Amino acid sequence: MKKILLTLFVLGVVAAHAQTGVCSNFHRKYCGVESKHGGSGGWLYNAQSRSGLFDQGMTSKIRCVIYKGMDYRINVCCETQFSAKVNYKIFDARTNELLYDNATAKDEPLFEFQSTATRQLVIEVTVPKGATEKDAHKPSDAACVGLLIEHKLTDKQGFSSY
Amino acid sequence: MTIQRKFLLAAPLALGIMLASCGDKTAEGSEETTAADSTKMEAPAPSTETFFQVPSPGEMLTFIKTIGGKNNKNTSFLNNPDNQKNYTDAKLKALNFGIYSCDLSYCSIFQIGSEAVKYFKTVKQLGDQIGVSSAVKPEVIKRLNDNIGNPDSLSVITDDVYFSSFETLESGKQGPTLSLVVAGGWLESMYIATNLTKYEEKSPIVERLADQKYTLDNLIEFLKKYESDANVASVLVDFKGLQAEFAKIGEKDAAPLKSTEKGAKILGGGKDLVMTAEQYTAVVENIKTIRNSYTLTK
Repeated sequence: MKKILLTLFVLGVVAAHAQTGVCSNFHRKYCGVESKHGGSGGWLYNAQSRSGLFDQGMTSKIRCVIYKGMDYRINVCCETQFSAKVNYKIFDARTNELLYDNATAKDEPLFEFQSTATRQLVIEVTVPKGATEKDAHKPSDAACVGLLIEHKLTDKQGFSSY
Repeated sequence: MTIQRKFLLAAPLALGIMLASCGDKTAEGSEETTAADSTKMEAPAPSTETFFQVPSPGEMLTFIKTIGGKNNKNTSFLNNPDNQKNYTDAKLKALNFGIYSCDLSYCSIFQIGSEAVKYFKTVKQLGDQIGVSSAVKPEVIKRLNDNIGNPDSLSVITDDVYFSSFETLESGKQGPTLSLVVAGGWLESMYIATNLTKYEEKSPIVERLADQKYTLDNLIEFLKKYESDANVASVLVDFKGLQAEFAKIGEKDAAPLKSTEKGAKILGGGKDLVMTAEQYTAVVENIKTIRNSYTLTK
């Protein structure tokens, strides 16, 4: 009877967590990037940012819209020790062309870019299996992963009317 | 920052609940949406889902202000707060919560502080009715009043209201309501933008309006997740009609960009959308019709 009550209690606690979204807002709390000169450096929060709970080996994708004439900055962060090894790829949603893979930059979580055209992007985030030796023995361990997107108007080069 | 959650290992069922809580994909029993772009995988993954994201209404309004609307103070086209009493069903409450949230954002971004307070009160009243009272806190009025002369702070405050409402609805698995709020907010941002803009072939704002074709695509995919809900289904019909207008917009290859001094990577290729005056007029008329049918105004 005690075991049943304990199980119900654990499930109740977890369900309560679930209701409030255990990773909700994780990206806003933990994925912020310090500007070299302090402050935001003009970067604005982009509402297409997202957080989620990832198991090791899990992949999740968002489809977002980026506009030409804007600078974008993506930062992916994770709450566990495999933070540095979270992989993400950016595809053109229309052509499936791979535009960027942070594996080519040693899994660097931060990526700053512009686009020649407004387009839909698919950003695919993967927490690899066995990201560390220690984690290899805990395949079902789960962690919050945040994908923070920020934007700002691209600085005009040369004289400008505005 | 590390958070231990080892107790999950002993409760696979609990883990399942938590995984479900991290997204809205199956909250209402709808099938996971698979986009055409989701097939190119380098390796099979145990769980792959796509979330369709929509920029906030404030992003469009900030862009318009930056490009050329700094001195604009026109509020004549916003949805009058007095209309709020007319929204008695769940669909209109959710849609107009999104619409008024966008109007609030507009007043903040364009430094119309006294109107911002008025719109906040309306957002608060509707928010209480759709279940986001915890996100639209009464003390925000004081923050708004204290920052009326500070547009940057006003924008941050009103953005927080929008984002908190979004998160509250998502965490509470109120997917249909959330999708209607997002739809209302986006539609109002388009309505405001078209009221502030006249067609010019190479206007950056007209280009940005044409680019909303992509945002609308995402929004429609988002709505589809909840189309089993009758309210969402009816909005989906309206938005698909608008999508058909956007589909008429032509394309040309995007001009290459020179590399930046800062060395930011440039994602090349892609297409620019080219909207004619006739297409612009059709889109504007369609937006106006749909928007006014939701606000119950002419």
